[in-house]
Order: sequence, then structure tokens, then C-alpha cells
Amino acid sequence: MQKRIVLDLDLCCGCRSCEAACRVAFKGEARIRHGDIAGVAYLPLACKHCKQPLCLASCPVEAITRDENTGLVLRSANICIGCKSCAYACPFGVIDAPLVRHISQKCSLCVDREEGPRCVAACSSGALQWLSDEEIERHEIGMRMVSKDLFFRRKA
Amino acid sequence: MKNIDPKAITVKKALCPFCSFGCEFGVVFNDFGITGVEYISKGSSGGRLCPRGSAAAMYLDHPRRLSTPMKKQKSLEWSKIVKELKKVVSNPKNVAVTFDRNITLEEYASIIGFCKNAGIDDISSTYFEPETNLRSFLPKAFSMTEVDDAQLVLLLGDPFNQAPMSSRAIIDWKLKDKKNELVVIDSINTHTAGFASRFMKVNVGTEPLLFFALAQEKIEGVDITKATGIESSVINDVSKAIKGVKKGLIFVCLPFAHTYDPRLYAEGLARLQSFSGMKVVPFVEFMGHKGNQNFASIIDKVKKKKIKYLLNFGELFPFYYPQMADDLRALNIYATATLKYDGYNALPVPLNLEKDGTIITTFGKKNLGGNIEPPSGTKSINEILSLLSDGRGKGEALRPPEKKVDVAERVRRLAEVSVTKKKNLRLVGEKVAYNFLGFFEGEALKMNPRDAAELGITVNDYASVTSKHGSVDLPVKLTEDVGKGIVAVPAETPSVKGLFEYLIDSGDNTINFIPTEVKICRKE
Ligand code: SF4
Ligand code: SF4
Ligand code: SF4
Ligand code: SF4
Repeated sequence: MQKRIVLDLDLCCGCRSCEAACRVAFKGEARIRHGDIAGVAYLPLACKHCKQPLCLASCPVEAITRDENTGLVLRSANICIGCKSCAYACPFGVIDAPLVRHISQKCSLCVDREEGPRCVAACSSGALQWLSDEEIERHEIGMRMVSKDLFFRRKA
Repeated sequence: MKNIDPKAITVKKALCPFCSFGCEFGVVFNDFGITGVEYISKGSSGGRLCPRGSAAAMYLDHPRRLSTPMKKQKSLEWSKIVKELKKVVSNPKNVAVTFDRNITLEEYASIIGFCKNAGIDDISSTYFEPETNLRSFLPKAFSMTEVDDAQLVLLLGDPFNQAPMSSRAIIDWKLKDKKNELVVIDSINTHTAGFASRFMKVNVGTEPLLFFALAQEKIEGVDITKATGIESSVINDVSKAIKGVKKGLIFVCLPFAHTYDPRLYAEGLARLQSFSGMKVVPFVEFMGHKGNQNFASIIDKVKKKKIKYLLNFGELFPFYYPQMADDLRALNIYATATLKYDGYNALPVPLNLEKDGTIITTFGKKNLGGNIEPPSGTKSINEILSLLSDGRGKGEALRPPEKKVDVAERVRRLAEVSVTKKKNLRLVGEKVAYNFLGFFEGEALKMNPRDAAELGITVNDYASVTSKHGSVDLPVKLTEDVGKGIVAVPAETPSVKGLFEYLIDSGDNTINFIPTEVKICRKE
């Protein structure tokens, strides 16, 4: 199983380095974006490479496919017609609807880069991590939550 | 026929010159040019890069990258502009030489040496960012691991935007032990402030007053609580905490037009340092170099028609300060530049990313490396100087004459500014890493929802922001992060920087950009 991107919200300092790294690598596409959650929290929204991806289900031309071996949900740039169905279907809102290159801005988990995702490599605080399932089990992600807010922490 | 290897890529190592953190990274090339950056795990920041570092690839081959000299918005051959400049410097008493950002120590020495040989006496810095006032606080050696055993860290401003690479060590330290106290002082509620054990949200620009109060310095006739908006019980608590701390650190960031009196800020900081014994570590974009006089003295001579030509080395001046155009109208300016701007004679030079040479970082001196070829058509500062004069030599560092700061007088003045009711909103500068030069995202105006409601502005609106120097349309972000009466904007492009007012410090003739009154209207 492919490693996954995991966010430790405790650490995210809101610098948007992750977003910048993705945009530089993918010709301006922000496949990870900083979401402002009702003015209460800011956090990067990364694709989860779902087991049953709604983006895939919504695609009228089967441009999005899921690799059963790696778990990656990938969009084919050649097949995508830029209809934005996936952007509206994704329950996590991670695909940005405005198009940069006439095709959907879908995260590829940086399959082209041996060392893994660029957004993780760039992350200034170490909030984004690249972990296998076993590592996730062992890791104390979010265990240090020091919330001042009912739902999201860190609002002075 | 040539076989093309699709995997043929080259990665060249570079040192990020966009702030004093000096992160290392790789620039990736294929046969067609730059394709991106690579995150080197062995680099000084462990490969991590803030948006500015990642933007290096965009900067290097930006569509507005200047690669030929320009005169009156037309390209010109180097030989012609050099001929002109030679004539200009043959009459050195008419000429001033200035420099702003991204000059290596070696280039600075060459410029000073050139002036000496050419007989140019008027030399000044045109880097007007307030952070230059923090230069004297640069520690000789510093490592972020020094945070590990601190009990208290004081963050002045927003380091997680000014130098995002500082965030990891500070957040880890904060979360490691509940007793570790993180105090943040700022006039805007930032991401950094969100991590604070205690956030002291001061009235705009009044940080220096708070520093004096925290250092228990009595200020006759000034009501600190009223001026700063911070209760005296809170001031006393924090003052006690910093006095008693065994090991503490003060990290400082001071963005453009964020405070009214940067010199007083530096003075207050010095008092805070000696009161608490805490080490002060500034995070800046560039430290600035000094000339033999401050820039307002040059403006004076321009007005008296003693100086007719100005030769600036760097990349900001005069393009980034359009509000100074009136004061400089009588001048003929030749300025080095990296991007295309209209209106001045421009000489294309390499970026720091493409230079070899030494820069000063928070962690000591570092070498830029010079691994990346600048675009053909650019000439280095040393090449330009050699073309203008045969013996440019090396010059010693200069210092402008300094006057002692009249603390009491300045404190009173600042207290008065902060409590005076203003008719309009106050525009403050802030630092947002993601807005770097507008490459990823242009500036947006942060506004309090109550101010917006009064002006009929709602979410997703554009507003025109007008100061006495001009008007700019900006998207509005409604947020309680800025208090009522305040609007904030990252000053990253000439049009936005150009809105801010500047003051000439009558004490020492420095130029200070300050929070500025603006009128705001909803844009249809
Ligand atoms: S885009 Fe959304 S729906 Fe599709 S895989 Fe990613 S998170 Fe799941
Ligand atoms: S994994 Fe790669 S493509 Fe996906 S968001 Fe991160 S940088 Fe972008
Ligand atoms: S780079 Fe890391 S710290 Fe910065 S916004 Fe992204 S996840 Fe948060
Ligand atoms: S923190 Fe500073 S040196 Fe590091 S990538 Fe960002 S701008 Fe460059």
C-alpha cells in the first residue's frame, strides 16, 4: 500500500509552503490549497486518495481511475475534458474548481518524484507527513492538541 | 539525429536569498530551461522551503525578467548606456550612488571602492525597510536548537510568515512542555499569535511603548495602557516573567509600514534586551548596507540642484517607492533591476540566486554559490563598475553620521499618534510569505467586518484603497484578525507599497514608511 499524506494540525503554522510547492511543480495548479474554515481555522486541504472516490464516480469520461495496488486515484490529463464534475463531487472540496490548464487540478501524490510529495518536503513546520499505515498507527498525530476553541485550536 | 533522454535533468544547488534564514535547495533544469525546485533533504532547513523559496523557479525565468537595458521603456544596447553613464560619472560631484536589496558583501565593497576612485562623495542606502534598524541585534552565531532549552520565547511580529522555517523549532518547543511560555506581541492577530500562551495585541505601531513598559522604564506623562491598549496588570505579569527567566529568546520581525517609529522600536528592544538578559534574534529579508549619509540628505542636495544623477544598485529603488517620485523629479536615475518596470533607465543584473558572493544570514555569513547562469543580457554589478572605471578597487564599510535618539520626546510623540482619533482607516503593512512579489497571489486587504459593514462591503468584494499617494483596487478579506479602524495589506508590489506615507526623520535624515490613513470604497 502506498504511503499517505497525513496532516498534524497541531503543527501547521499556516504558511502555505505546501500550496506553493505544488503550484511551482504543476504549472500553477494548486492541488493542495489552504482552506479557511468559517474564519475559525486555516488548514491545508489535501486529497485523501479515497477507497471509493466520489471524484472518480462523477467523472463522465473515466479520466479518473484508482489503482488497486497502490491506492492512488489519478486523473489522466489526456482524457480529462475539464467539466469540473470531480471538483463538485469531492466531499472534501480538495479539487479547486477554477481551471488553470483546462483540466482538473487533481493531486497525483507526486508519483513522478521518487522521494514522495513535494508539499510534504516543503512543509515548514513538519505538519504534513508522508507515512505508511504502520507508521500512522505508531505516530501520535494530533495527540498534542491544545485547543482553545471547541472544534479547532489556536485562535488567540 | 539526436536521441533525447526524457530523464535528462540537472539539479543545481542554490541558497535562497529571500530572507535571512538562508535555506538551501536545488533548481531543476532540463534541455529547455528551468522546470522547478527540488527539496534537498541535506540542506540547512532539511529541504523545507517557504513559498518564497519555492517561487525561486518562477523568479529565475519570470516573463517580466529584464535582460536588456531600458531607456524610456525602450531596449537599448549596453554599449550605449555605458557610454552615457561614463559621461555621467566623469562629473562626479553631480552624482550620487545608492544601493538597496540583494547586494553581496563583495559587491558592496566594490561599489564603495568605485565611488572612491571616481570621486563620488554622496553615497547612501535606498533600502528603506524598517528591518534595517535591527542590524545591530544580529547575533554572532545562532542556531535554532538554542530554542530547545528556553523557558520563555517572545515573538515580536509574525515569524511564521516572515521566516516560516523558524516555525518547526518554535512549535516543537512550545508543545514539548506545558510550562514553556510563548508570548507574542503584534497589532494583528496572525497565525503566529494563534500559538501564543499569551498574545499582547497592541494598538497599531505602539510596540516600542510596550517594550519600554515591559523593561520597567518610567515614561513621564504617557498613559501606556491607553496608548498600547494593554492592561498594566498584564504588562507587569509579563515583565516579571521575562525578568526572572533563566533562558529566554526574543525573535523579531518588523515588516514594512507596521510601526510609526522603527528607530524607537530598536531603542525599546535594546532596553528590553538589557532588562531581561534575553538574546535577541532578528528575522529579516535583508540586512541593508550603509552609505556615508542617509537618503534624505541626498534628497536635500537634489532639491538644491547639487545632485543631478543617481546610480542605484539593487532591485527595489526607485521602482518600489512611486510616492517618492515628486522628491526625485529633478533627478536622472539609472537603476539596476531584475524585473521590468516603466519609467527609469534600467540596467539588467543577475538575481542573488545567480551570484557568487557572501551574504549575512541569521546564522552567520553564507556563500551564495553562483551555480546558476544568469540570463544572457544581464551584467553583474562588478562588470558594470569595471565598464565605468578602470580601477574600481575595494572600499571599507561606511557609516552615516548618527544622532542620539531623544527617547522621551519620541515616546511622547508615538503615544500621541496612537491615541489621536483618525477620520479614516489606518493601513498597516504585514508580511505574508505566500504573497511574495504577487507571484502566487496578489495582495488582499484585511478588514474588520464592522468597518466593512459601515462601508457596505461584503465577502468577495473588491475595494479601492486611496491614500494621498494614489489608489489601488484590492480584493477584501473580512476578518476579526484586524481590529476596528485598521486595514492590513502585505506590501509586496510597487502599487501597494506606493500607497504608504513616508516620513523623514529629522534626527538623522532616514526615511521611514509608516501606517497610513486611507479611504476605502466598495468597487462596483
Ligand atoms: S479528489 Fe476528493 S473524492 Fe477524489 S480521491 Fe481525492 S479526496 Fe477523494
Ligand atoms: S502530493 Fe504532489 S500533487 Fe499532491 S498536493 Fe502534494 S505536491 Fe501537489
Ligand atoms: S506547509 Fe505545512 S505548515 Fe505550512 S501551511 Fe502547509 S501544512 Fe501548514
Ligand atoms: S525561509 Fe527564507 S531562506 Fe528559507 S525558503 Fe523562505 S525565504 Fe528562503
